[in-house]
Amino acid sequence: MDPTSEELAEDELGHIPVAARVHLSHAVVQQLADRGGIDVLHLKGPAVLPGLREPGRHSSDVDVLVRPSHLPLLVTALESIGWEQRTTFATGSVFAHAANWWHDDWGWVDVHLHWPGVTIEPELAFEVFSRDLVQRDIAHRPCPVPNATAQRLILVLHSARSGGTTDVEHAWGAADTAEQDDVRALAAELGAEVALAAGIGELEQHRGHPTYLLWRHFVEGGSRMDEWRARWAAARGARAKTHLLTAAMRVNQDHLRMELGRPPTREEVRAKQRERWRKAAGEVEARVRRS
Amino acid sequence: MHFRIADDVAWVSQDDLDGGDVPVAYMTRVPGGPPILLEGSGCIVWLALAEGGTLEDITVRAAELSDTDADLIRDDVADLVDQLVVIRLADEEDR
Repeated sequence: MDPTSEELAEDELGHIPVAARVHLSHAVVQQLADRGGIDVLHLKGPAVLPGLREPGRHSSDVDVLVRPSHLPLLVTALESIGWEQRTTFATGSVFAHAANWWHDDWGWVDVHLHWPGVTIEPELAFEVFSRDLVQRDIAHRPCPVPNATAQRLILVLHSARSGGTTDVEHAWGAADTAEQDDVRALAAELGAEVALAAGIGELEQHRGHPTYLLWRHFVEGGSRMDEWRARWAAARGARAKTHLLTAAMRVNQDHLRMELGRPPTREEVRAKQRERWRKAAGEVEARVRRS
Repeated sequence: MHFRIADDVAWVSQDDLDGGDVPVAYMTRVPGGPPILLEGSGCIVWLALAEGGTLEDITVRAAELSDTDADLIRDDVADLVDQLVVIRLADEEDR
């Protein structure tokens, strides 16, 4: 989440404003990374380089991209000082790209294994994002962040996935032609051309691409049925399609836990399952009536 | 004796956060320390400490930042810096 706040709003932790907490939390994560020899890149929020984002915007959580092979080290380090895992990579999002940890003092940290829209091997993508990284002071401590070109791409891809945000105006619209060309070249290297096109209004140039419907869904919205149709089209191969079907009808217990503020009972999971079936049936019925 | 913010401290002030006019700073010892808040005159001393120096340097800087007579705040600044050293947010070193 990236709420804009004019003052230092406090969140559910109460004792420290969100913006201050997020800055300090980035520094805490970086210190853990330094100690453990763990490669991470800080993304979004205070990690964004000046001029790439609307001033005054604050993130409510910490986003880091970890070198995939270093994930076990980072998890151990986070949990050693009290972070608790709340969502898994399988349930965190459509892209299975991130999982969340919660700390009673430092709030949420989103650990990303890859960035939605990037289609090359995650370990290789991390190498590309790390190339020419920049050390940015967050809470007066150096934190590695992607360079300006990579940050522009990251912000545009995030915007595309979020149905469009003002980030695009700063990260893309305010860039000159040479800077935009650099972003396009980077997107090509990362296999992120379709996602970039979705973010900058050029998606129709990729109509025949398997992920076209998925990105159109993110940009334009639609029903859950539309989303699944798009995900089905984007899933390549029998394995991916089987995985998708299995996931489709499984209740996301991590999200249910967050909704309830406690682990769900078996009955609550069943009730949610019934609700999903009813919702799916309702959408089918609505389509039948429309046609 | 020179004083400075300890190496393992992360901190932010309202200047870093576009957070308004009230002097306030938040800090912690990374990675395992709790969040700590200094506001008002405490924050001003912290900002003066950020540049490092002798107790007299810090006192004079804090007086300038708060538009106050250094003689009026000297004892309070010494007390606060001493406390910051005790809780290891500040280091002291012989030079």
